[in-house]
Amino acid sequence: MNVTATEARFIDDDGTCTFVELVHRSGLTEDELRALVDAGALVVLDPSARAWTFAAWSVSVARDAASLRDSFALVDAHSVAVVTRFAQRVEALQRELAALRARTGER
Amino acid sequence: MKYKDYYATLGVPRTASADDIKAAYRKLARKYHPDVSTEKDAEERFKEVAEAYETLKDAEKRAAYDQLGAHAPNEDFRPPPGWEQSFGGGAGGFNGASFDDIDLADLFGGLGGFREARQRQRTGPVPGRDFEAAVRISFDQAFHGAELKLDLASTEMGDDGALRRVPHPVTVRIPKGVHAGQRLRVPGKGGPGARGGPPGDLYLDIDVEAHPLYRVDGNDLYVDLPLAPWEAALGTTVKLPTPGGPVDLKVAAGTHAGQRLRLKGRGLARGGAEAGNLYAVVQIVVPGTVTARDRELYGELARNSTFSPRAHFGGYGA
Repeated sequence: MNVTATEARFIDDDGTCTFVELVHRSGLTEDELRALVDAGALVVLDPSARAWTFAAWSVSVARDAASLRDSFALVDAHSVAVVTRFAQRVEALQRELAALRARTGER
Repeated sequence: MKYKDYYATLGVPRTASADDIKAAYRKLARKYHPDVSTEKDAEERFKEVAEAYETLKDAEKRAAYDQLGAHAPNEDFRPPPGWEQSFGGGAGGFNGASFDDIDLADLFGGLGGFREARQRQRTGPVPGRDFEAAVRISFDQAFHGAELKLDLASTEMGDDGALRRVPHPVTVRIPKGVHAGQRLRVPGKGGPGARGGPPGDLYLDIDVEAHPLYRVDGNDLYVDLPLAPWEAALGTTVKLPTPGGPVDLKVAAGTHAGQRLRLKGRGLARGGAEAGNLYAVVQIVVPGTVTARDRELYGELARNSTFSPRAHFGGYGA
């Protein structure tokens, strides 16, 4: 039997996504998404535009935020944003550490 | 069906308030979160705590759970007569014959799903659920791309209202140049939509096994290049392995330890984008055992060389 493989895509190859798409694809509420924008966890491509759009990789950030909200039973949007920012900081440090280890050979 | 005491899992009495349940969950979630806990069974405990909270935080699910009565943990039991009519949501409810085949978590997961579906009925087409799966691939698969067969499964409610594990075998093509920690989207491979809604997507969280030779930094790769002291001093040509095949690398005379020799475009290459570089990091390696002849030659070099590797110490009292 022939099985057709489906192409997996890099999320950031998918261009941009709208606010509504981000709500749908992340499971976050509109308030939670706005709080993520206010906290700098998500960046609006053109803040002056009437309808917000985001780089496609924002889906990944928003899905992580939804996962943190569910894992820690966070009940308000501000908490979701704060925890997401901490998680982003941890990820940035992990990437920096991995890069240093790659360059120096330290395991 | 095996009974699980969700109250005991959270360490609260059956009369606990919603706030008490939430507080207990938060405390235990922090304690057992796999990213922070060092306890051996933290992940398992975290899942148990999350499962318990998922049911007890929801007033409707909690009421349904309470109606099951109290049993010993792992005791085989069946819901009381009429339970499925009260909490199964009408429209067929749960098929009593299916209780043996399902887990308690599936039962309450389905209850929420059913209610959600009921709410969405008013709004027309319902998009399918997104699935998420962690995938670990080899370095070679990340470098060259790969086709993977994934045996995924989800819990879904059938037309008869019974819950069952539904296999979702998926064959996906992983693009070349993927990194550990990246998330890929496989369009349309999530759960089926309802009422003409589109299927959900499948998200893959990628992990890449460490390679014994190559280290990854973004699209760049690093490999250690051990050289004998005389190779570094006099220069040489070495056959260097790269993920795309071996290359002859010319090492200039006077190369020093720590120097990075760049092989442009030999790193990870993502379709349509410029490939990263491969850096060979020079290490000067001395023989572990020295023969009499080696010692003689080293001695001659030491007596005749004017090189001082610590000349810059001079100004600091050395």
